[in-house]
Amino acid sequence: MLRRHFPLALVLLIAALALWLPFLLPWSYDQIDWDAVRAPAFSGSHIFGTDDIGRDRLARLAAGTRITLMVAMAAALVSLVVGIAWGATAGWIGGKVDEVMMRIVDGLYALPFMFIVILLMVVFGRSILLVFVGIGLVEWLTMARVVRGQVIALKQRPFILAAEAAGTPSRTIVLRHILPNIAGVALAYLMLTVPQVVMVESFLSFLGLGVQEPLTSLGILVKEGADDMDMAPLGLLLPGGLLVLILVCLTIEGERLRDRFS
Amino acid sequence: MSLYDIRNLEVDIAGKRLVEDVSLTVEAGQCTAIIGASGSGKSLTCLTPFGLTPGTASGSIKLDGVDLRTTDARHLRDIRRRLTGFVFQQPLTALTPHLSVGAQLQEATMQAGAARPSRRELAQKLERVGLARADERLDQFPHRLSGGERQRVMIAAAIAHGPKLLIADEPTSALDASLRAEIMDLLDELRAEQGLGMLLVSHDLASVEHHADQLVVMENGRLVEMGPTREVVTHPAEDYTRRLIAATPRLDEAAPKLSQPGDLLLETVDVGVEFRRPGWRRGTIHAVAEVGLTIGQGESLALVGGSGSGKSTLGRAIAGIGPVTRGEILWEGVSLPERRRRDLDMRRLIQPVFQDPVASLDPQWRVGEIVTEPLRNLRPDLARAERSEMARQALSAVDLAEDFLIRSPASLSGGQAQRVAIARAIIASPRLLVLDEATSALDPLVGAEILQLLRRLQVDNGLSMLVITHDIAAARRLCHRIAVMEEGRIVESGTMQAVIDDPRHPATQKLVAAS
Repeated sequence: MLRRHFPLALVLLIAALALWLPFLLPWSYDQIDWDAVRAPAFSGSHIFGTDDIGRDRLARLAAGTRITLMVAMAAALVSLVVGIAWGATAGWIGGKVDEVMMRIVDGLYALPFMFIVILLMVVFGRSILLVFVGIGLVEWLTMARVVRGQVIALKQRPFILAAEAAGTPSRTIVLRHILPNIAGVALAYLMLTVPQVVMVESFLSFLGLGVQEPLTSLGILVKEGADDMDMAPLGLLLPGGLLVLILVCLTIEGERLRDRFS
Repeated sequence: MSLYDIRNLEVDIAGKRLVEDVSLTVEAGQCTAIIGASGSGKSLTCLTPFGLTPGTASGSIKLDGVDLRTTDARHLRDIRRRLTGFVFQQPLTALTPHLSVGAQLQEATMQAGAARPSRRELAQKLERVGLARADERLDQFPHRLSGGERQRVMIAAAIAHGPKLLIADEPTSALDASLRAEIMDLLDELRAEQGLGMLLVSHDLASVEHHADQLVVMENGRLVEMGPTREVVTHPAEDYTRRLIAATPRLDEAAPKLSQPGDLLLETVDVGVEFRRPGWRRGTIHAVAEVGLTIGQGESLALVGGSGSGKSTLGRAIAGIGPVTRGEILWEGVSLPERRRRDLDMRRLIQPVFQDPVASLDPQWRVGEIVTEPLRNLRPDLARAERSEMARQALSAVDLAEDFLIRSPASLSGGQAQRVAIARAIIASPRLLVLDEATSALDPLVGAEILQLLRRLQVDNGLSMLVITHDIAAARRLCHRIAVMEEGRIVESGTMQAVIDDPRHPATQKLVAAS
């Protein structure tokens, strides 16, 4: 089990560390150690050293991972709830309703996503909430399409027709017959959404549109590290490596799930 | 010396022995048929010697005097290419979708090293298998052809290089009943003409018995009985063969004892179902048009027709799980509304049973929940304990033990799953069952058992039935009357025996001849 799902276990371990480290480390992510600005790795209590204004790298890495994973989970949740509700409704009712609902999805797909997020930031100011809203707004679209296709395929199956003949109300058919049968596929796509969201959040933060200082995310850490990479390569390699590791692991698990259900 | 001679064939897949000690021969110009239920190892027996299954074969396998097992892989491929032709069950998947018919036929002709055939020669090959407008067809792609036409193309490709042995794995099972006889006749002609030996695999005794010279009966990977077809059919030596023969419906068997029908129960008045054409094309498809039929209390009506004749659409309309766009469905003189507007009391009257037993049961539910689903909606007055008591009764009515209640659908065989589906249909004591090809996806022995079960329900419980099927002989075991559909209309109807004895409409004549 552990060997088969090693990538998932690794991500869970990283998440657990990100949550636990703040309690173990003597430094918090926004605390400046005036005696050890730009300290190299393994100097004193700074395991990975400090950044250019003396903040502990490991503490900031843990904080960044926390934020990134949190954004990913929230967006995945939105994608799950909104996507399934929207797709299942469109697929089940069909006809004109389906037409209209799916054209709305197409319309949202067509919007230049980055442009919308930047516009939101400019109008409402930078806040972590807007990052959630912006990412949640687009990430449910794929899920809605996948779910709709599954529902339409299931709708004509004899056991659904038998349920209708048995007098089962539509709502119950959707909740008890259709949703359990698409859960596997939905879960697989959820696993593929998470790394995508991690990417988007990091990208936004890298552009300086994500969360605000002193809060941090893996994207911001990569950006800070990139600015200072000739002096302290560790500042880029640590968050960058961690980001790649998380993305690769989640993608592997997601594709594996998808292959199992399709 | 026989053309093809298998002795003591054993087939193993992943360490499991799936075929044990099978010996058979095919003579030039003759046909040997293997019949058996699914999982009896009949396909493995005929495909494994040519390396077309994951299994490994042992024993002696001689084709035209060469032992296939002792030759190396290259030599085997060479023999397969020159001496054998294959026809499979699904003509659409067996033809390459992106190559035109002509290109595939050319490839097939040249596989044994023949020179590039001219267009004229290719067209002749298609004409030989009974395709009209052969020259035009050479440029068509497989998806443009109907199922029967595809199967003819596949046969043309299989014999294009002049093989000596033709292996046909369920060549007619995916086709309409009326087409089956035509394809089998074609294979007979080609066999006689070219001196081909043929090894035929089928689950359906009725479709091969008039065409095969030798009959091989298999069960669970073993050979039960073999011999000249006529002899095996008239004097079966083994019990399994006897049961198989008894299970195969025939038009000339003794008329079954059926219940006496009572008063008029259901009547359709000019019922029509129209669909809008999909996509941007305008217009409507008349799937069902001006259908008027009646079913009495305790009566079974057979609704027969080819695929696409609209019989399933009509059945769904009557069962309230499909649209009705014209006309009226009357129940004891009172109009039944369509689909979503039917209330629970109306739902209780009519219950459907479908063709694919596995797809009829929600894979996520337990048998107990599946069987009681109608009760939860249609009989809200019942307590939980009463419901499970009725589930037990329903299971025993379909001859399933009580411990099936906690099984999951995936653990059931096809026959068991169909019994569960019937138990669900009868649990709320409906008065009419709509059976949509309820036995045609099952093995013959299992299908016959289900037919028997349905007849018991008809006689003992006075259930009326609408039996939708393409198989007149099977319907005859259950039905009083018959209605034949073609292109959405009923073209002929009457009592079962009268229509079988004197079919008037060409569609009926075709179906009767095919049974």
